[in-house]
Amino acid sequence: MSAVSAPSSDVARSRAAVRVLEDTSTIEARALVQRFGTKVVLDSLSFEVQPSTIHALLGPNGAGKTTLIRILAGLLVPSGGTVQILGVAAGSSRSFRRLIGLLPSGDRSFYLRISGIENLVFFARLHGMRRREAARRAREVLEEVGLEDAATTRVAFYSHGMQKRLSVARALLADPPILLIDEATHDLDPDGARRVRELVAAAAGRGTAVVWATQRLDEIRGFADRVTLLAEGRAAFAGTVPELMATAVPRRYLLRLRNGLPVRYSLESAGRSALGSLGTLELVGESSSEHYVLALADEVVLGDALAALSRVSIDVLTCREERSEIEQAFLALAGKSE
Amino acid sequence: MSILELEAGHLGALTGELRKLPAFVRRDFLVAWSYRMSFVSDLVNLAGQIVVFYFIGQLVDPSRFPTVGGSAVTYLEFAAVGIALGVFIQFGLDRVSAAMRGEQLMGTLESVLMTPTAPATVQLGSVAFDLIYIPLRTAVFLGGITLAFGLNFSAGGIIPALLLLIAFIPFVWGLGVLTAAALLTFRRGSGFVGLGAVVVGLLSGVYFPLDLLPGWLSGIAAGNPVALTIDGMRDALLGGASLVDIAPTLALLVPFSAASLALGLGSFRLAVRRERRRGTLGLY
Repeated sequence: MSAVSAPSSDVARSRAAVRVLEDTSTIEARALVQRFGTKVVLDSLSFEVQPSTIHALLGPNGAGKTTLIRILAGLLVPSGGTVQILGVAAGSSRSFRRLIGLLPSGDRSFYLRISGIENLVFFARLHGMRRREAARRAREVLEEVGLEDAATTRVAFYSHGMQKRLSVARALLADPPILLIDEATHDLDPDGARRVRELVAAAAGRGTAVVWATQRLDEIRGFADRVTLLAEGRAAFAGTVPELMATAVPRRYLLRLRNGLPVRYSLESAGRSALGSLGTLELVGESSSEHYVLALADEVVLGDALAALSRVSIDVLTCREERSEIEQAFLALAGKSE
Repeated sequence: MSILELEAGHLGALTGELRKLPAFVRRDFLVAWSYRMSFVSDLVNLAGQIVVFYFIGQLVDPSRFPTVGGSAVTYLEFAAVGIALGVFIQFGLDRVSAAMRGEQLMGTLESVLMTPTAPATVQLGSVAFDLIYIPLRTAVFLGGITLAFGLNFSAGGIIPALLLLIAFIPFVWGLGVLTAAALLTFRRGSGFVGLGAVVVGLLSGVYFPLDLLPGWLSGIAAGNPVALTIDGMRDALLGGASLVDIAPTLALLVPFSAASLALGLGSFRLAVRRERRRGTLGLY
């Protein structure tokens, strides 16, 4: 411990902990089990998170994401298994809580009758900062999240998006090595969600390990470094986002077709007979006569089906997968594919 | 690490925790100040109580009243001390127990407990503002009654009365924390506060001398720390009792207060631990 200078606050101690333990994995969860009565919410779940990494926890409602976040945050004692964060066992010890910044999913975690900056100064002081240091740090993080103009406004008058950004500011107050984020953007507009993701990505760029629980598939592409897909309390997939997308086997495509047949032939019936056992063709909606869903039969490749349509003079103007690769992988791995 | 270094570490941690208390006081002052009308209505309520007891006092024959420290007292003087402490207890119990419940309802409890702050600091911090405000409020009550009705309080009894009050605060705080633990565990706990109100109202001599109770109940009431404190404060403020005179009461009160605080804080710690195990800390 000689390398660590005498810390003046809890914040300094958390940074010192990171320096001393920088060679160890940031988060190590081993064989986590969580039961509520007879219901098993997490079932022998293990995973690791490295520094400077955004690790997405993906899964449908009830998959166990929030439960896992709460265990990692020390707010819930698991029924079985262990969690080590920078070598410190998860729990209620102060040395553990110095390491964590939490963005809860709920929208009520501030004192609504007092201003944003007073809220942050209060929480900064609970992190061990003296009044002046707390005020300075509160102003810094408010500026970082773009709320400096609303600093002295009561939180009750903040919009939902502003409260989320204030939540990010609070999580960043003590510059923790770990950020646990539970459904931070699920009820934000696209711009608000983008701003929160940018703030979190910036923190990860500074070395913070981020666990980001979400069910929004669109936001993990180009954002998360790794993803663990939870289904019924188990890790149905663990790897990178491209690896997750590679597990997708698209079977359904949206086609825009043009009828090159003589007028008396219907495109739909001609297409169906051309495809035969290769797949099915169905008109999308009632207002359009050129958008179809092509569902491939097992083992059939897309090229064979498109070639069959071309042979009977049906022109394929556009072709795209009905769902994104991430969505398909999600549905398949979460056991929700049609 | 030597014992000295270890002790210095503990001392440093304790100092660090104590430094957080002003943050709680500031937070609660700002929240209370945002409800300015509540401050005003509280003072009006106090004034109303004084007036009511003044008129009740007109119905009581002073000759039938016991003496305090050898001096005859009026019903208003007798009741004023009791009511001041009774309101102090009621208000204290209510506020201490409601502090944690309030955090839970506001959704801030988990956020506070996520900081590297000891649960005991969180508990003490949550009532720190009230521990300052409530004695001030009590002093305003007694000061107001003295000025308005020219009551005969002994100036020499103020210090002994203050000492009794200081010794009594941990007792109320402990009961409040115990109630807070019950609220955290069972969610609804107004019954605990109601029980406190009954004990204060009936078995403490706030409104009438304990001698009027049936013998067996009077015996129980005599050992009630609330009754001990009220008696001691009456002796000090109305009978001019000195520090030496109240020493036996203090000696009885301190163990009660220590036990109450230890029981309250221990229960609260157990309640928080149970909620963490069940994952229901933020549930209300």
